[in-house]
Amino acid sequence: MSASTSIRSVSTQQAPAAENKHAARSRRDRIHGWSFMAPFLLFFGLFLIWPLIHGIVMSFTGKSLTGANSSFLGFANYAEALGDVDMWHALGNTLYFTVISTVPLVLVALLMAALVNMGLPAQWLWRLSFFAPFLLASTVVSLFFVWMFNPQLGLVNEVLSKVGIAPVDWLNNPDIAMWSIVIATLWWTVGFNFLLYLAAMQNIPQAHFEAASLDGAGGWRQFFSITLPQINQTTIMIVILQVLASLKIFDQVYQMTGGGPGGTTRTIVQYIFETGFTGYRLGYSAAISYIFFGLIVVVSIAQFAITRKRSA
Amino acid sequence: MHQPRDNSSPGLSRRQLLRGGGLALAGLGAAGLLSGCGGSAAASETAQLRFWHLLSGGDGIKMAAMIDSANSSQSAWHVNPTVLAWGAPYYTKLAMASAGGRPPELAIMHAARVPGYAPGGLLDPWDLDLLAENGVTPEDFAPRIWENSQVDGAVFSISLDSHPFILMYNTEVADKAGVLGSNGQLEEITSPDRFKEAALEMSKVTGQHGLSYGYLNDGAQMWRMFYTLYLQHGAAIELVPGQKAKVDRDVAVDVLEYIGSLLDDKIATASGDGGTAIAEFAGQDSGMIVSGVWELPTMINAGVPLDAMPIPTLFGTPAAFADSHAFVLPHQKSLDEQKRRDSYAFVAALLKGSINWAQAGHIPAYQPVVRSAAYKELMPQAHYAGAADIINYDPRAWFTGSGSDFQAYFADNIQNVFLGRTAAKDGWDSFVKRLDTLLSKPNPV
Amino acid sequence: MATTLTTPALTISPASSVPVRRKKRIAPSRIIATVIVAILAVTWMVPFAWAAITALKSETEAAATPITIVPESGFTFDAFAKVLQQGNIPQWTWNSLFTSAAITVVTLVISALAAYALSRIDFKGRKVLMVVIVASLIVPPPVLIIPLFYQMVAFNMIDTYWGVILPQVISPAMVFVLKKFFDQIPRELEDAALVDGAGRIRIFLQVVLPLSRPILAAVAIFVFIGAWNNFLWPFIVTNDSSMLTLPVGLQTIKSAYGIQYAQNMASALLAALPLIVVFLFFQRQIIKGISTTGLAGT
Repeated sequence: MSASTSIRSVSTQQAPAAENKHAARSRRDRIHGWSFMAPFLLFFGLFLIWPLIHGIVMSFTGKSLTGANSSFLGFANYAEALGDVDMWHALGNTLYFTVISTVPLVLVALLMAALVNMGLPAQWLWRLSFFAPFLLASTVVSLFFVWMFNPQLGLVNEVLSKVGIAPVDWLNNPDIAMWSIVIATLWWTVGFNFLLYLAAMQNIPQAHFEAASLDGAGGWRQFFSITLPQINQTTIMIVILQVLASLKIFDQVYQMTGGGPGGTTRTIVQYIFETGFTGYRLGYSAAISYIFFGLIVVVSIAQFAITRKRSA
Repeated sequence: MHQPRDNSSPGLSRRQLLRGGGLALAGLGAAGLLSGCGGSAAASETAQLRFWHLLSGGDGIKMAAMIDSANSSQSAWHVNPTVLAWGAPYYTKLAMASAGGRPPELAIMHAARVPGYAPGGLLDPWDLDLLAENGVTPEDFAPRIWENSQVDGAVFSISLDSHPFILMYNTEVADKAGVLGSNGQLEEITSPDRFKEAALEMSKVTGQHGLSYGYLNDGAQMWRMFYTLYLQHGAAIELVPGQKAKVDRDVAVDVLEYIGSLLDDKIATASGDGGTAIAEFAGQDSGMIVSGVWELPTMINAGVPLDAMPIPTLFGTPAAFADSHAFVLPHQKSLDEQKRRDSYAFVAALLKGSINWAQAGHIPAYQPVVRSAAYKELMPQAHYAGAADIINYDPRAWFTGSGSDFQAYFADNIQNVFLGRTAAKDGWDSFVKRLDTLLSKPNPV
Repeated sequence: MATTLTTPALTISPASSVPVRRKKRIAPSRIIATVIVAILAVTWMVPFAWAAITALKSETEAAATPITIVPESGFTFDAFAKVLQQGNIPQWTWNSLFTSAAITVVTLVISALAAYALSRIDFKGRKVLMVVIVASLIVPPPVLIIPLFYQMVAFNMIDTYWGVILPQVISPAMVFVLKKFFDQIPRELEDAALVDGAGRIRIFLQVVLPLSRPILAAVAIFVFIGAWNNFLWPFIVTNDSSMLTLPVGLQTIKSAYGIQYAQNMASALLAALPLIVVFLFFQRQIIKGISTTGLAGT
């Protein structure tokens, strides 16, 4: 908000000098301000605010993809959703994925960044290797991994068989499928967190380490006593972004397992998609969307609160 | 390998040019902003018909060949097929495209899915006069198929085939087991116990199993078997929104228990999936397989000494689960009359040439083909053609039909019954409870 | 880069991308670290390599057991040739390119204008707008798919480029990234122009934008990558195979001939190629872009 205070100070300085000029300027600013905002606000209103409101309206109706039966239902959709076993199952799967994906996505990124930041040669090569997958579309990642996880023809089982491990049905075993998706996701997006960590580490003033070296602190101690605390803010941001991103997961799961086997990997976004478009029930699907939205808001507020407490 | 996509049509050159341009730009990494019209097809005398289907593998190759020959037989129209993944992905996208107003001119659906589409206005009805102009009349279809093509008095689907659940058997194994009749076909089996005995005899011959039946993680397979035997009791299932599901619980429990008793690792493997069952029968490690007709080409190619028949009537009433691949007209926001007429012509051409489709195992719906000498000589297809008279589609509801959630719900509740982990009545009751929940929800179509 | 050196905003970007080099003798720990990183990097390359090897096999070799690295009949470009000839890949590539470019341009224009107003112009309602736009950051895009689809049906935009592009051009996060940057440009530069009688538009175009080239490039790269790879929205709004973007087309459209592994991998690699090429050319800028705009979220 530094900009707004500076603007105010500029205008108050001018105020006593020319009252008319000030009024004219504020009028001109109003016109300019809204004109500059107008294109953005048009799209913002049309494609964010309006659907957001309309979605709430829809969630109170029986609106269908076919147009049939769009009567007002009150809270019936919400009541039904709260008793919907499949919705809770999908929410549970989503939270499960969020937990088991966030931990490796943060820790592996930290490990990669810490190692690369030790002043290794050929930095560009490591950055390229770790970050390149992030540039791929989810579909490409899914095609790669479905192929690698193929029970009979896949590379992964082939490698495992070389060390005497029996073939694993990566995407069709209810106990393993979600972990297979975590592996694919880790490969795909860890490079993003890695880059953020690397940038943060490279911004730590060199003097800190030199002083520590003089005190005789070794590499490990320097990492835990200087690097980690210095990148604390980055870690918090990465965790927050990662949790929110993981809660929204849809692509890889839909593409790799379709939510199977037996619904064990179906996430809440997929459930929204399926109730709305496969089952035609747009109104009910909208209600589930807002329950999901509520969850995101709660998680965001919780994270915000924790962050504030930490940094205070 | 012949291609379903046209490389010959002269009208497409501009589009190809634009595609080439797109690639070149991609290669340069340049964000070109030539114009917004990259996707529009060039004007052409040949009407381009978009046709969606969900057939792949053996069916897909057959369909591609049939489309090719229809395309090359005339120059007024050209059908461009788009293949989507079987099941929910296909039906979801078809519904979304129809709701969006720019769906393909023509699509294939499972006939049992049509009641979940048509009433909501996602499909347009067929014009019987226009069909007749193309030489296709209601009398050309088997009665059960024609009856099923109607929703609220209008015809919404034109079936290409029916594809029932049938019994295929290994004639050599059956012969050695002494269960062949004097005509060289499997003896007539009319009781559940006799069926088991015959299977056991066959298992002695193969040293493995008598019957192949795969169901693991495959709700459709569980449902097909169950529904066939349930119907053979003369029982029915009625699903009316707002009411409880009307089912015959005693019959259902009997049937589930009977199927469970087949899965004893002697008659049939206790827990096998579809792939296992096909491999077992194709490898001649069993004498019989219950499956859809579409597996027939696989078995023929595997070199199994093969014959086939409708599922034996074990419980008195001849019946078989079936569905049909049927042509539908997705509702267009702005209808191109000419393209619609061309679609009729294409459908008529495919129906009349459906002897080719019969080679993929399906029973043609178009009776002139079924009555033809060529079909009567087609073996073993001709041996199960009678199944078309005893077919039953899924009970009608917006959530039933091939590849629907209905079959997934059946799997959720019944798989453990088949595996012997849950009592038949418990599995059935929870399935019915699930149906009741669905019926209590507002009907979205 | 020279122009950026005149602005203080520089602190958020170029400095961070210059790796700090510590001159030390080679410690054993660094050798170990190099080995670990090398193993990780090789592991990270495996999916690419395996896809490439598969794509260069014939279909029969690709589906043969036991698995081979070098196929007996040698490598072939058949799979690539097939997907380029028969498939829709060229059309989908064009669709992706066109829509992503349009989204990037529109996002950049409307976000920069809005960011400038929020940063520099003192108009009534600005604070409320700030709050509303900040609050909108919390809306997860999947929540909007149901009402947005319905809206697209009403606008007759299903299966059109409009339908793909328009809902993707709102990016509150990018507005804030740009606003933060504009906040750091010294006001004196503009005041001088104002005294000369220049209007807001001219100041924006001639003073502010030229100073903001690096951040505009960063935002453009970020938006383009996001649009190119977006799956959910194009998947919802397009059905016709001639309208699909690359990620959606590869997922949705199947072959009548069943799964063909070599062609699958060839398609995947062709879809990956454009961005990988762009990355190889603009590695520094992209990494800088991610590091500066990344924390703002997507």
